[in-house]
Amino acid sequence: MSIEPLIQVRDLKVHFPVRRGFLGRHGDPVKAVDGISFDLSAGETLAIVGESGSGKSTTGYAILGMEQPTSGTIMIAGQDRAGMNATDRRAITRRVQIVFQDPASALNPRMSIGDSITEPLQIHGIGSAKSRRDKAAELLALVGLQPNAANRLPGAFSGGQRQRVVIARALALDPDVIVCDEAVSALDVSIQSQILNLLLQLQGDLGLAYLFISHDLSVVHHIADRIAVMQAGVIVEQGTVEAIFDNPQSEYTRQLLDAVPSSPLLSPRP
Amino acid sequence: MTDAPVLEMRDVTVSINGNPVVDHLSLHVDPGETLALVGESGCGKSLTALSVLNLLPDVATRSAGAINLQGSRIDTLSQRQMDAVRGSRIGMIFQEPVASLDPLMRIGRQITEALRLSGPVSSTEAEKRAIAMLDRVGIREPALRVTQYPFELSGGMCQRVMIAIAMIRQPALLIADEPTTALDVTIQAQILELMADLRRDLGTAVLLITHDMGVVAEIADRIAVMYAGRIVETGPVNEVLGTPAHPYTALLLRTVPRIDGPRKKMLPAIEGIVPEATDWPEGCRFRDRCPLATEICAEMPPLAAKGRESHRAACWHSDRVAEVA
Repeated sequence: MSIEPLIQVRDLKVHFPVRRGFLGRHGDPVKAVDGISFDLSAGETLAIVGESGSGKSTTGYAILGMEQPTSGTIMIAGQDRAGMNATDRRAITRRVQIVFQDPASALNPRMSIGDSITEPLQIHGIGSAKSRRDKAAELLALVGLQPNAANRLPGAFSGGQRQRVVIARALALDPDVIVCDEAVSALDVSIQSQILNLLLQLQGDLGLAYLFISHDLSVVHHIADRIAVMQAGVIVEQGTVEAIFDNPQSEYTRQLLDAVPSSPLLSPRP
Repeated sequence: MTDAPVLEMRDVTVSINGNPVVDHLSLHVDPGETLALVGESGCGKSLTALSVLNLLPDVATRSAGAINLQGSRIDTLSQRQMDAVRGSRIGMIFQEPVASLDPLMRIGRQITEALRLSGPVSSTEAEKRAIAMLDRVGIREPALRVTQYPFELSGGMCQRVMIAIAMIRQPALLIADEPTTALDVTIQAQILELMADLRRDLGTAVLLITHDMGVVAEIADRIAVMYAGRIVETGPVNEVLGTPAHPYTALLLRTVPRIDGPRKKMLPAIEGIVPEATDWPEGCRFRDRCPLATEICAEMPPLAAKGRESHRAACWHSDRVAEVA
């Protein structure tokens, strides 16, 4: 493993043009992400927190190549995403995967769980049909599902189980990084803790790095190593979890922390 | 409290295709108090609220029980008679404020429309009261806002407008179904504060539906925890959260990551999933997921008194709950 960070983002800007008037004159662009920089190292969890519209999801999409940066650089394993040819881009895609918020819409309802999980392998031309089936069984076991789940459709599973399937699919290409975009926000609390436990366990076993995009400070406090707080397209503060929670430097971070319901009634008993 | 409860539900059952999804549920909300009805998706908490309003979806039917509002039955009323109850005596706010408002109607009109349902009001008077109400729910420049459309307002402002509409006729009961779930955390705190303020000033009783124990601890007086169609534990918030007497409540409290809790540790998870209404186990419905379950749990435990202050739980092993939490 090299010592350089897995992902290095420098002065990233993602602006969306706004068309105004019937002649299509350009108005001011929406500056969804407006000059942010951060690193993500192997095996660590960096959380990006912020409220709706802060640009946290757009940041994740830019890293995955789902949004085109307006300017700035995204280095993945030392390679500039912008300068890559198609082959490099394919190779990089294998190393960075995503888990979305809503497992119901992230799976094709007409495709069996096994096919969904192995579709990335098929797209990348990896393995034979037989080896892919074996891989599906292995991945299902890894995320705590029965191997016979492979033959069933998503409709037969609960929300938490579907999120396990989505995680299994993200793991199919043995990535180094998983972008978790509000990956536990849509789940019931008892299921949320199961998935958080799974993410922690997978990180321990496989050495994954997570870019954990979330609005939930309690979840972030639990799972992250470092935190970047975003507001209106910029990172107002970043640091270790301890630094951010114990000694927040920006007024906005303090506001966010104060707003978390934290009745002493809910404090863990010694 | 000596006053009659504002809302009293006795043995209410709601069924879908003949399967009970709310099963012999009883609860009450006293004047001026906030009762939080807490549970995970599919436990029946929203259907319970909708059954009070007689707004159940077509597939669901209320098959048993009685619902009293301020001492008189409302479950026997016709839809037309309920029209006079909804809005005037029971206000409602829902999770999605933007979707709850009419996108093509100015904010002011949406508030005065509610007002006019309770009798003739002149338009200048109605507008004056709408502006005053918007001011009361903390919307700045209310005179400008009444002329605007929902898309011109943020999600938090739309929820304030919803609260203004729900409260303008000063209902005795406010039903709030996940009122802050769709809002950002800083906005959520403001809306909770507003709801507490209004309740203090107007004495409205609140039935709050939520899955969020943080919200419960913040604004509720009493709590009723639902699991698979039944109330499994109920009592004053500090009692139930402080010394839970049902293992489901205890695990629910411990399974949520805490801002002051340990980091990067396995959370005490509740294994398995909430069973569908069609495969509820015999007896205690939590027993398949319960670390304390024994043979006796094959029999349905009664909602029995535990400790003090009307704290009740439906568990045969209440005395051992401290073991799981």
